[in-house]
This record gives sequence, C-alpha cells and structure tokens, in this order.
Amino acid sequence: MKFQIEDVTVYFPYDHIYPEQYCYMIELKRTLDAKGHCLLEMPTGTGKTIALLSLITSYCLSKPQSPMKLIYCTRTVHEMEKTLAELKILHNYQIKHLGPQARILAIGLSSRKNLCVNPTVVAAENRDSVDAGCRKLTASWVRALASENPDVAMCEFFENYEKAASAAVLPPGVYTLQELRAFGKEKGWCPYFLARHMVQFANVVVYSYQYLLDPKVAGIISKEMQKESVVVFDEAHNIDNVCIEALSVSVRRQTLEGATRNLSRISQEIDRFKATDASILRAEYNRLVEGLALRGNLPITDNWLSNPALPDDILKEAVPGNIRRAEHFLHVLRRLVQYLSGRLDTENVEKESPVGFVASLSSHAGIDQKTLKFCYDRLHSLMLTLEITDTDEFLHIQTICDFATLVGTYGRGFSIIIEPFDERMPHIPDPVLQLSCHDASLAIKPVFDRFQSVLITSGTLSPIDLYPRLLNFHPVVSRSFTMSLTRDCICPMVLTRGSDQLPVSTKFDMRSDPGVVRNYGKLLLEMVSVVPDGIVCFFVSYSYMDGIINTWNDSGILKEIMLHKLVFIETQDVVETTLALDNYRRACDSGRGAVFFSVARGKVAEGIDFDRHYGRLVIMIGVPFQYTLSKILLARLEYLRDTFQIKEGDFLTFDALRQAAQCVGRVIRSKADYGMMIFADKRYSRHDKRSKLPSWILSHLQDANLNLSTDMALHIAREFLKKMAQPYDKTGSSDKKTLLSQEELEKLGDGSMHEMSY
Amino acid sequence: MNNGAGRRINGGAEEDDDEDDVNGDLDAWERTYTDERSWESLQEDESGMLRPIDNQALYHSQYRRRLRSLLSTAARIQKGLIRYLYIVIDLSRNALDLVDGYLNQIPSYGHREVLILYSALSTCDPGDIMDTIQKCRKSKIRCSVIGLAAEMFICKHLCQETGGTYSVALDESHFKELILEHAPPPPAIAEFAVANLIKMGFPQRAAEGSISICSCHKEAKVGAGYTCPRCKARACELPTECCVCGLTLVSSPHLARSYHHLFPIAPFDEVTSSHLNNPNCKLQRNCFGCQQSLLDPGNKPGPAVVCPKCKWYFCLDCDIYIHESLHNCPGCDSLRHS
Repeated sequence: MKFQIEDVTVYFPYDHIYPEQYCYMIELKRTLDAKGHCLLEMPTGTGKTIALLSLITSYCLSKPQSPMKLIYCTRTVHEMEKTLAELKILHNYQIKHLGPQARILAIGLSSRKNLCVNPTVVAAENRDSVDAGCRKLTASWVRALASENPDVAMCEFFENYEKAASAAVLPPGVYTLQELRAFGKEKGWCPYFLARHMVQFANVVVYSYQYLLDPKVAGIISKEMQKESVVVFDEAHNIDNVCIEALSVSVRRQTLEGATRNLSRISQEIDRFKATDASILRAEYNRLVEGLALRGNLPITDNWLSNPALPDDILKEAVPGNIRRAEHFLHVLRRLVQYLSGRLDTENVEKESPVGFVASLSSHAGIDQKTLKFCYDRLHSLMLTLEITDTDEFLHIQTICDFATLVGTYGRGFSIIIEPFDERMPHIPDPVLQLSCHDASLAIKPVFDRFQSVLITSGTLSPIDLYPRLLNFHPVVSRSFTMSLTRDCICPMVLTRGSDQLPVSTKFDMRSDPGVVRNYGKLLLEMVSVVPDGIVCFFVSYSYMDGIINTWNDSGILKEIMLHKLVFIETQDVVETTLALDNYRRACDSGRGAVFFSVARGKVAEGIDFDRHYGRLVIMIGVPFQYTLSKILLARLEYLRDTFQIKEGDFLTFDALRQAAQCVGRVIRSKADYGMMIFADKRYSRHDKRSKLPSWILSHLQDANLNLSTDMALHIAREFLKKMAQPYDKTGSSDKKTLLSQEELEKLGDGSMHEMSY
Repeated sequence: MNNGAGRRINGGAEEDDDEDDVNGDLDAWERTYTDERSWESLQEDESGMLRPIDNQALYHSQYRRRLRSLLSTAARIQKGLIRYLYIVIDLSRNALDLVDGYLNQIPSYGHREVLILYSALSTCDPGDIMDTIQKCRKSKIRCSVIGLAAEMFICKHLCQETGGTYSVALDESHFKELILEHAPPPPAIAEFAVANLIKMGFPQRAAEGSISICSCHKEAKVGAGYTCPRCKARACELPTECCVCGLTLVSSPHLARSYHHLFPIAPFDEVTSSHLNNPNCKLQRNCFGCQQSLLDPGNKPGPAVVCPKCKWYFCLDCDIYIHESLHNCPGCDSLRHS
C-alpha cells in the first residue's frame, strides 16, 4: 500500500498496516525532520523492522537531493539476514511502483567467517583463525612474495577482485549475506572485500553493533560513513552493556603467559630480521619518527584492527622515543607483563582508579602514561613490519596492549579491579585483572556526535527515561507504543503466594527456604498439567537453578513433572544447549510437551524465540537482579550515582526488570500468537518494580492478576487457554481496528489532520 | 487410553451414546467461579431497570446463527453421505494407527473419518507421529479433534494436514454444540466424487421370538435381529456390514433420513414486527405449524419467522423443530399436495 505521512509518500509492501506501525512511522518521520536522535519502544511482533525500513527508504526517495544513508545495526547474523530479507520485499515493491529510480544498493557486512568463500580458509573453526587464514593468503608482503615465487599460496578470489579493480562493483539491489557469497562465487571475487569496498556506496548497510561501537573495528569499517546517515540500533535494550564491553578488558594468568610467549616469538623475529634485512626495521623507525598518521595508506588487507581508544582521544603525534626501536618497545612490554603478573599475585581484592594504576606502574616499572597510550599502535606497526600473518596466535599480547592503551588514555569512567578468585568459588584461585568501563556514554558518544539521526529501538526500553541518562544524549522523540490486539492474547500474572498461601520470593534470605522451593516446584507441577506443549521457566542464575533443581529432584517433584512433560536444561555449554533446544522443539512438535529450564541473562533469554506452541507459558522465577556483590557492578553503581545521579536501587531494579521483560517477551513474537507470563515473586506486586515493565505488558496486567496464589493462577490459566483456542477474526471488530487497509488509513489520516488543525 | 469406538454407516446425529460417557466424566468438569456468576449475565434496559433474562430468545438467536453458518457453505456441494467414522475417546497415537488400519480396507465411496475427543495435554507415541499423520493424509482419512482443555499444536497440525476441524470446548453446552457440528456430512473429497453404484441389502427384521446365532456377537439371541438378504446371516443392529458376505446392510428409513443433508430446508427469514402489523397479512396471526397465536400476552406481535418459499409464518419453537428434527417444511409440503 501507498500512503502519505505529511510530505512523504510511504511505500509499504503489505496490503494492511497495524495502527501502531503507522504511529511509529509518524514519530520516525518527525525525528528525521528534526535531524535528532530518538528512542522508540514497540513490542516485538508488531513489524517494527518493516515500518522502520519502509519509512526511512521512502523518506530518502522523497528527498533525492540529500545523500541519506541508512546504517542498520543488529545484534546477530540471524537478525541481519531477516532484516535484509524484509528489505528485499520492500525494495521489490518500491521498484514495482516507482520503476528503476527506486533502485538502491543494500548489503550486509559481517566478518570473514560469514562471508568468505575460499573453502580452505572458511573451514577454520573460529572467527580469529578465519581472519588469520585470510591474512596468510592476502597480506601485501605475501602477495609481493608470490609474484616472485609461484609456490606461495594466494587466494584466487582476492586476486580476481584486485584484478577487476574499479570494475568490481555490485549492481544495485538487496544482498543478503548468502546472496553476497553466491555473487562472489559466481564472479570469482572475494565477497568480504567487495562488501567492505561497497559499504561506502551502499544506500543501506546492515551490520553488527560492534562495527559502530567498538572503536577497534569502527575505526576501519565505519570511518567513511557520511554525516547524513541515519543509524538504527535494533533490539537495543542492552546497548549500554555493549558500549561498556567495547571498552573493557580483562587480563588473566593465561593471557600473561600467552603474552610472554608472543614476546619471545617477536624477539626471535626481530633477531631474524636483523640478521637478514635490517633496513626494514630502520625504515619503520623513520616512519615512527614522523608519526603514526601513515595508517590510512595501508593496503586494505593489512589493516585489521585500529586503536581501541575512541577517535577523538587518539593522540596525533609522533611515537615517544623510548619505544621507537623494536627492542626497546619489547622491553617495555616485558616490564608491563611482569608488573601485571606481580599484581595478579595479590591475596586481596583490589580496586584502583586508572590514574592511581598508571602512577604505580610508572614508579614500579618505569612506564609513563604517554608510552602506554601508544602501545597498541606501536604493536600493530611492529607486527606489520615483521610481516606476521598468523594474528590469531598473537591475541594475548594484543589484549595487553589494548589494556595499556585504554588505561593510558582514560582517567575517568573506568576502574581497575583485581580479584584473586571468583567470589562464588573462593577455594579455586583464578586471579583476574579487569579494566572495566562504567560509562556507556563514552563508546556511543562518537556515534551521536557524528551522525545526524540515531534511532534506538527495541521491544523493551522501559523505563524509557533512563536510557537518555545512561547514554548521555537528548532524544527529540522518546515514546513507547503498545500493541493493538484483536484479542487479549497475552496474559501476564504476578504470583506472590504458593499453594500454601505463603509468600514466594528469591530474595536472598528466602531463596533457600525449603517452603519457597517447594512452592515453586508445586507451581510448575500444576502448570505442566494444564498448559499444552512448551513451557519455559527462567531462573535468576545458574547456581540458583542448579540448587533448586537438585532439591526438586530429591523431593520427587521433578519426577512428577516428567510425567507430564519432558525436562530440558540450559547449560553454559553452547553445543549442549543447542542440542537441548532442538530436542525441546521436537518434543513440543510431537505433542509430548516439554519444559525448558533457562537462566535470565543467558544465551537463551537473549536470542532464542519461544513463539507459538514452543512457549505457551513462561514462568519467571524470581527477580533477576545482577549479582550485587560483584566488585565491577559496585564500582559501576558508584560511578552512575556520582556522575549521572542515578540511584543504585533504581539502576538495579531497571536492569532486573528489563531482563525479566526480555525473558517473558520470548513467547510473543507475533499478534496471532498467544501466551501467558507468570512473574513468580512477591516483589513484582510492588509498584516500584512493576511500573518498570514495558507498557505493552502492563496494559494487559489486570489488577485482579496482581496478587495471585498458585491455585488462582491455575484457574486463570485454564480459562485463558480455552478462550485462546477459539477461532477469532484477524482484522478485529469494527470499533477496534487492528489492521488498517489503505482506505481506512486515508480516512484516519484525514481525521488526525482535522484534529491537528483544530 | 484408546477406547476404540463404534463404526457407523451413514452416521447422522447418532453419536449420543458415546458422548454420554464423556459427559458423565464431565460432571465435575470445570465447575469454576464463572459458573456461579449469574449476576454477570444480567442486563439493564434503557431506563436502568434490570431486564429479565430471556433464555428462550438467546437460545434461538444462537441456533439461527449456527443454522446460517452451516447453510452458507452448503449451497450445491456434493456431500459424502456414507461415512465410516471412528470416534476415539482420548487418543494415544496408537489409536490413529489402528484406525488407519481399519479404515484402509473400506471402499472408496465411503468417507473415512476419525473424530477424536481429547482431554489430555500430551501424547506419547510408539512411532513418529508425523509419519502417522502423513499416512492418514495419504489414505484420505479426515481427522477432527475436539479438545477439552487447551489447544495443542499436534492436534491442530493433524487436523490441518488431514482436512479436519479442530475445536476446543469451553463448557458442556459448547462441547455438545461442537460434537453436533460433526453430524452433517462434510463435502465429498474431490478425487472420490464420482458417481458410484453401491450394492446394499435391506434386511428384514426377524420375527419376535425366533432364536438364531448372531454373527456379530457370536451368541444365540432371541428375536429382534436382522437377516442379511444374501447369506441369511443375522446382524443385531443396522446400519452395518454383513460379517459373512460383506454386504452393506441398511434400512430404508436410514437412507431417507440422510436425504435432508443433500437438500436442506432453507433457513426461515425473521419477520419484523411492523410486517406483522401489516393489515395485508391479517390471516397469519397464528403459527402454521402448531396453530398457536403469534401474539404476545399483551396482544403485541411476538417474534416469528417466515418460510421464504411458501410464505407461511412459524413460531420459534416450530422453526427449531422443523430444521432440526422434521427436515420438511409443512407449508411447502401442503402446498405441493393441494
């Protein structure tokens, strides 16, 4: 359908549109008009992605003179593919209506692991080894060598791509990763480098968060994006954590041991070069005297990681004299590693600010702040000079330099925490030194500054006023939409009491109470007997899940549950969990029914959908607070309080509730779907907790369902399931339209125009 | 788990005996808070007074809705009148295999159907259920499920694959309604919708007091049986298939009764009260069926319906009786005679 939002004609590839999609588009349009940033919450299953894509592309089409570009960031490769597939439908529709002038180029960019077509390289098991495998075949010195000696292996795809030079372009169209690979195979061009080259010409680029937020990657991939771009962060409820992780480093004993090995290997290489071709080292020295600004001219294949510090904070001056020579730099690194391993030997937990750490580093190891700052670039330069291609072997020393550069650059918003053992397992020594970033706004600031519009959107962004404070920006629009439904297909309940009317909670003083554990068990047991197909049960942590399942097993509850449904458990092992999920789905399909035990904040809670019969009920046992004794969390809370005036309690509750909302949101992925959600903890009935849930859940949470015991919940569940099994009208009754056709939309548009004019 | 159930030829609305034991189980079935909330069905009229609950009118309007939905699809569709229907009460998937085995042998003019009444929320199967479903689909068995508790994916999948219907009962009356929905024959499957001559026997009822060994129960019985016209074997009930020679045994009333499925009576139109006051139709103050007055106690015109063909008026009770039991319109029939 085709309709008008103010001065923009929107092309929407479907015949009907949800009212909330329409509102969403209006808000988006205003944001784009205002050239500002925005924050929009809309539940999953309402077609957020297509609304976003169709508005922004239509907006671009209506303003052909402005070179607007859409940068769409997703969390996973799977989401990337889904987005591109949607865009493809949209693009075909636009071409049908507008003809060839609507043509755009849209590509997805991912790591070599997902894009490489060279069978020998892509066979490697992880991302780093694929990257290294690629470099072994394509680094400039390897190719130079190969031109003299035909025995040296090269990648034919890259060679063909290089040969084609400027002729190597993608014709306009929408390319998913798979199609990109197919195109590369057909032409014999390397899809990865082709995609990287085409990023600067594409109208729509879809890639992962890291490509914008992690300065190590963003410096290479995203530096050429123009200011007029619109940046979208989809599923952005955890964006603050992504920002923090991008600037955090942790160093363990293994890292230091590996770094020591790396250093001796580097020193051998240096000796070898000295013996054979000392001029190369001298040339590097001269280059360093002139400064590091030469980076930009590196061939595309040699350019793998840039500085971990943010672009504004990188010094544009020459490398300090004491690390210009390779041997000297090596000495500095050795001293640094030695100092770090000395610090790791501590018996107590230590917390230090970067400033203090740098001071003690300079007094004990004689390394000053400026030297630290240059570590990363210096290492990069040295590895290039030494023509090292197996970069995956050198990850440890890279981590150390990463750490050094960050600690040398930032004085505020970070802290260094050394823990001799994991607090939950005090008898196993596992020292770790963490440089943790507390300020999510640091990493995202360059993005806000650089781009005209940044849209942050997700199904759960409540409370929506906290995100601008955490990320330190001023949105022009921040709104939360609810879902328009033809029937009440979600049924959230707050369960506060067990079957014996005693309160249930995972509060620290209550969680191990046998009565509470039994009540939770009884709840699940009752529910498995009335809910068909799949049930998902989220626990607050792995340790709590292990404990409670053990108790259930001992008391025979687990056995009784298994009479009704099969039980599957998420573990920290990815392969095991994938297998469990597969079998869980099979059990649901075949009618046997199954329960999946999972953990809030785990992989499953973040990325796996339990839609339709795979999840008819989700039980959130407890409030998933973070581990509040964690030193890193405490440091972050303190920083948030001092800098952004966010109270500890507020932040913890916000964080716990967004995780809970994320967990329960797994069951509803579309409007035709239905599901129940049980929040099983007495603390959910308190207003301060409950009010932080997203509005689309709150609007269905009736007052009667706020303080239930197991038997009442059971009754509600029975009724709800029967009601939902009845046939229903998808378009909604006449007074409550949930699907709008073009005429209805035009009528609505007129109506709202009138309202506005009065 | 699998209480297999009887086979019916030309199975009209005769499932009641099986249904009874289910209903027996359902006595305790969901006596919940809602059942007692009679106050919620109270309604206010315009002046704010409570309106008496008119169950009669409510029932009638429900019935009319059902009638309309049934007939709207029924225009001129060939229907599979000869149905081989198994009713399975609470299935295991084993039952589906069994039914498949039984139904495979029946001739192609018969419709193979399974109606599963299901209250459990899980199933456990000896083999792969998906294969079984595909098998049923291949042998054109139409599987329908009436659930009693909640929607199950596998049941829905089964019904979708085999072209059956899936419904979940809300309460007892809804359950009855859902079962009765299965009584009218479904449209014929296209591939089998060819004209077919079927050999049938019309057995005579044996004389009272005659003793013979019945072929279905293998025991001697006194009186009340039917003798196959071809092989003279004795069967206890009709309709059935002769155990000895395999002839289909029916009685003529059975055939006659199924006739109305092919040529149903058109639903009657509702008469607006203004129409009833119209002096031109003075004659029709009474129901043509029962001759009761169509007027209210207050001498105001009450609800009535009119047959679109013969234009005679009927009261609501007669309307239901004509469509559900009689299957003949007295007005049209008398017109034909005169």
